[in-house]
Amino acid sequence: MILNIHPGLSILAGILVVAVLAWAFWPKNGLFALIDRLRMNSRRVLLEDALKYLFDCEYKNIDCGLHSIAGNLNISADQATKLLDRLRAMGLISMKDQSFQLTDSGKSYALRVIRVHRIWERYLADETGIDQMEWHGAADRKEHRMSAEAADALAAQIGNPVFDPHGDPIPSAQGELPEHKGRPLSSLEEGAIARIVHIEDEPHTIYEQLVALGLYPGMQVYVLDVTNGKITFAADGEECVLTALFAASITVEELPEQEPLSTKATLLSTLKIGESAEIVGISPHCRGQQRRRLMDLGIVPGTPVTAELRSASGDPTGYRIMGATIGIRKSQADFIFIEKKEKHADEQPA
Amino acid sequence: MAKKQQSENEDILSLANSLRWELGVDFHDTVIESIYADASRIARKTVRTEGEKPAYNWDFKIDRIVTSRWLGFPIMFLLLAVVFWITVSGANYPSGLLAELLIDTLHPVLKNGATAIGMPWWLSGVLVDGAYLSMAWVIAVMLPPMAIFFPLFTLLEDFGYLPRVAFNMDSLFRRAGAHGKQALTLSMGFGCNAAGVIAARVIDSPRERLIAIITNNFSLCNGRWPTQILIATIFIGGAVPAHWAGLVSAGAVVGIAVLGIFFSLVVSWGLSKSVLRGETSAFSLELPPYRPPRILQTLYTSLIDRTIFVLWRAIVFAIPAGIVIWLVANIHIGDLSLAEHFIRWADPFALFFGLNGVILLAYIIAIPANEIVIPTVLMLTVLSTGMHEMGEGAGVMFELDSIADTENILRAGGWTLLTGLNLMLFSLLHNPCSTTIYTIYKETHSAKWTLVATLLPIVLGLIVCFFTAQLWLLFFSTAEAVG
Repeated sequence: MILNIHPGLSILAGILVVAVLAWAFWPKNGLFALIDRLRMNSRRVLLEDALKYLFDCEYKNIDCGLHSIAGNLNISADQATKLLDRLRAMGLISMKDQSFQLTDSGKSYALRVIRVHRIWERYLADETGIDQMEWHGAADRKEHRMSAEAADALAAQIGNPVFDPHGDPIPSAQGELPEHKGRPLSSLEEGAIARIVHIEDEPHTIYEQLVALGLYPGMQVYVLDVTNGKITFAADGEECVLTALFAASITVEELPEQEPLSTKATLLSTLKIGESAEIVGISPHCRGQQRRRLMDLGIVPGTPVTAELRSASGDPTGYRIMGATIGIRKSQADFIFIEKKEKHADEQPA
Repeated sequence: MAKKQQSENEDILSLANSLRWELGVDFHDTVIESIYADASRIARKTVRTEGEKPAYNWDFKIDRIVTSRWLGFPIMFLLLAVVFWITVSGANYPSGLLAELLIDTLHPVLKNGATAIGMPWWLSGVLVDGAYLSMAWVIAVMLPPMAIFFPLFTLLEDFGYLPRVAFNMDSLFRRAGAHGKQALTLSMGFGCNAAGVIAARVIDSPRERLIAIITNNFSLCNGRWPTQILIATIFIGGAVPAHWAGLVSAGAVVGIAVLGIFFSLVVSWGLSKSVLRGETSAFSLELPPYRPPRILQTLYTSLIDRTIFVLWRAIVFAIPAGIVIWLVANIHIGDLSLAEHFIRWADPFALFFGLNGVILLAYIIAIPANEIVIPTVLMLTVLSTGMHEMGEGAGVMFELDSIADTENILRAGGWTLLTGLNLMLFSLLHNPCSTTIYTIYKETHSAKWTLVATLLPIVLGLIVCFFTAQLWLLFFSTAEAVG
């Protein structure tokens, strides 16, 4: 016939075609993803990132010199000098005693970018299933593309949030931002009780480990010990040890008048078949639609729950909640905190 | 004055904004939680439940058995096997009856009637041989199995057993990034993919529902089982010693169905990791109490909602397709019909994938229903090989009672064991029928996902067929391959 090619050759060709197709459509490093990334105007991106960084320094009252800018943007000192010259020519920054300062127009430009970034992070956290490790990177790309109007529309759609999922305030459309509050966790002393208000998402490697430890904004911490640059604390009852460098990434607000939460929360997933307990709450890691669904089913503080049956494959488990049997996966039950009831009478008369 | 008012408004708004910052991160949740907590506290104080206990205990006992480690899966496989067995064996007789009535009896009557009133040959061809015949075919082969399968399935659902299946199967589907209820849409897909797609409504998490819809086509539907059985009997059964033939060909068909489930899981996994990664996912699975099935009501709703509904859509698509099938076989350009032109043009390309031009054309023009693929293949093979003594004439679909005669036609059309095997694979992995495609669009309201659900299986099918064909050629004689 016409296409009389040796099968070995055509198999190789076939594998090649499949490989090229797979590469083209690969989500992160594929051809289309690459083209998408190249389409971004890198000069503008650099400029906006520099403004953002300068603003962040001012907001937190940190000095930032040429080298820290170059380091943060991952460019050489030479390039950074050129970039800063350009910013000055555009009237976005000014020089004062060897340090850089944002002008008013520079500040409002930076706030616009930050607003888009944090709104987008919030959107990803609440309305999509994207993993929290990817929020920041995705928002870093989105912030350079989304117009202020589109950001406002999105904000209105998700209920005009005022905080991003890391606990950072979202600047208002008029460019207002609350005073920087709180102090780094590393500055606390033994015996202090505080609440985490923010976890810095840069650098990524540190953020990754803090999240892996299960820390989140809103968590209560109780400092147990500070020695040799290490800080030991109880976070919602669980003991954590961090070096000063890591602890500096966490911003806390002191709560002078509170009792420490002594007991570690028990997870619903630890409930054995036949045991009963009372719901205490849902972890803040469980967000958006999943959280609303659980609450809709009646998983709110105070609801009694009984583990009733286990699937033939071991997971999910059926729980009796408000007169209905509901199958919940282990990964979800790990998000639900309970308090085991004492073994006493079945039901209290009303 | 107005200016003052405006500046006051702005002051209030910015005050509100700064107060919201003071409130902290999760005050929305706190509000909702306290509302729920108050409501349930009031309810616990004031509402007393009575007389619910005995029924609940009963449920509990059944649940203990059907979700038990040792009995859970055997009970499930047994029940599903019984449902399929009743469907397959029960549908044979009414299907034959309908075929005899609609195709063997009514078709010639209509044809003669058309000639008697002086209808031109082409008009009676388009209307009777094209439109009527394909509609009749779809009804005859589609109606009986659906009318048996859907009520049985709905009875199990009504009784409350199906949610337990989802409960038991969830951990398998969870690993594929899907929802346990996909086990139900998948089984429903064995009856009909369009119905399986509709059944995906029970999955309330948006991402998992899309996954279930897109992968439903990998369930070998009713319309494809007869194709699989026929081809397996002829080519796979024919390739082994006679006393093994029955077992081996049945094993091959089951193997294809299992391969479909495998693809369903793998593609689910791939989708949930790639294109659907960002969609929201919210799992929950309610296990409702058991109740005695309401048989009459179930029969009625499953016949109206599922059977008639799906059948109607299939008929709507079958009529124009019947016309197209007749036309491509009867419109000539030069010496050859449109169909023959396409077959000759597509043959070299198709052989590369271990198929042939007839199969490709049949899958394109028989898109309304998988049921009419084999009749179309036979008609086209007869047409393109010029065996005019066989069959019913150009553009008239037919099927033969004798498997040996069918085999002769196919072998004359150049079919080999490889063609048979690849047809079985392609029958599993090709675009959904037009009824299902339309249903997917109706359910998702998205042209994009409809396109993905349509093209993904074809691309997979062509890849699988290609590698099967080329590996076959590599390991077996090259002589047979080219022949």
